[in-house]
Amino acid sequence: MDSSAWGLLAYGAWTTAWISGISIAIGVILGLFVALLRVARIPVVHQVLGTYISLARATPLVTLVLFIFLTAPTMGLDINRNVAGIIALTLNTTAFNAEIWRSAFNNFSNEQREAALAIGMTPWVYFRRIMLPQITITSLPGLVNEMSFLIKGSPAVAVIGVVDLARVTNRISAVTYEPLPPILAAAAMYMVLISLLVWLQRLAERKANRLAV
Amino acid sequence: MPETAAVSIRKLSKSFDGTEVLRDVSLEVKPGEVVSILGSSGSGKSTLLRCINWLEQPDRGDIHIDGDRIGVSDSGKAMSRRELASMRARLGMVFQGFNLWPHLSVVRNVTEAPIHVLGLSKAQAEERAMALLEKVGMVEKRDDYPYTLSGGQKQRVAIARALAMQPKVMLFDEPTSALDPELVGEVLGVIKDLSKEGYTMVLVTHEMEFARAVSDQVVFLDKGIIIEKSHPSEFFVNPKTDRVRRFLELEAPVV
Repeated sequence: MDSSAWGLLAYGAWTTAWISGISIAIGVILGLFVALLRVARIPVVHQVLGTYISLARATPLVTLVLFIFLTAPTMGLDINRNVAGIIALTLNTTAFNAEIWRSAFNNFSNEQREAALAIGMTPWVYFRRIMLPQITITSLPGLVNEMSFLIKGSPAVAVIGVVDLARVTNRISAVTYEPLPPILAAAAMYMVLISLLVWLQRLAERKANRLAV
Repeated sequence: MPETAAVSIRKLSKSFDGTEVLRDVSLEVKPGEVVSILGSSGSGKSTLLRCINWLEQPDRGDIHIDGDRIGVSDSGKAMSRRELASMRARLGMVFQGFNLWPHLSVVRNVTEAPIHVLGLSKAQAEERAMALLEKVGMVEKRDDYPYTLSGGQKQRVAIARALAMQPKVMLFDEPTSALDPELVGEVLGVIKDLSKEGYTMVLVTHEMEFARAVSDQVVFLDKGIIIEKSHPSEFFVNPKTDRVRRFLELEAPVV
């Protein structure tokens, strides 16, 4: 592999990192809102979101990516392939994250809620100051797990022509006729991305131990 | 003009799934008074206490805190969350299970509500918190987290947390029932000090000797009805009903 091959790999890795990164950032926050809306059990909204989550969890990423890319123009939306890829990844990861957040909500101690309400906190202050800091920490292992699934599933965006870290290996081997070195190099780069997340998770778990009453 | 009652409960009734747990309960707590609610488990005493700050909503009857009705606004509709929160801020509650917030250190458990409910500055809230931690003997533990504390220490922090809101009335829901016997004394000591300082308190407890020592009024609940209401010197020595006599024989054998 020459330096231009390494350049291509670095470009692919960057594409994977920023497309996944944006999807993760939006997906974690959107997932929280979806979970909040589901916990509120608002009629119709509850059913609509339930259907969305079931569908998004049951659909392969490749199918979702193609679906978004091909239907957007028919709805009059002019989006490029990167945006289509981000939308698809976000829709997918939001559904999984919403379930992670929701289970944290449902398992949260009612005693702490009563203490907060009894002392005069509004439900919003209670959520922001008491509940959210704790469920963020307890949800983090699950969320980080889902983040790593998303990164490993992100090559699905290659079907619409986004040149990510997986796709770029094809390009290199098309020139060098040696497919193994770029694939191994790409694998190593995926491992670096994932190990960054795992390191983050370990940090969070150390903090979470403190919450064990 | 007659003095406004700190807590005034009128004809309160409450059912859970068709089972009546409180029936026509009325009770007045004067400012500075300590009232103990006694009764066997399932008599409705915790429910009565939890109605006072609207953690349980009664089916009928009304409750006034310092002259203001809780739970129902002037227009007759249910209070908004904000109105209810500001009523609750006037009541301090101490729970059987302490219910401290585990992600906050001892001092931050105490400053959290003064800062985010009353709007105190961090410095003001900390000054107030340290004075209260001093009072309950927990100053050295100010930066520790709840999981490192014993049950008795947790409960003393929980008392400081409630006091930091400078409530009109303190409500205690079996504050020593979850404690190891050797830790009961330190918590009761703190509550006793508060009664000497003139705090208005409503107390659900199984500690008969303690109730006798601190109360100005003892209320006995049986199957959701107040069957006796009297001064402790009368209640413990000369109970009017057989029900209370039997209860006292079981709970506090006469020496």
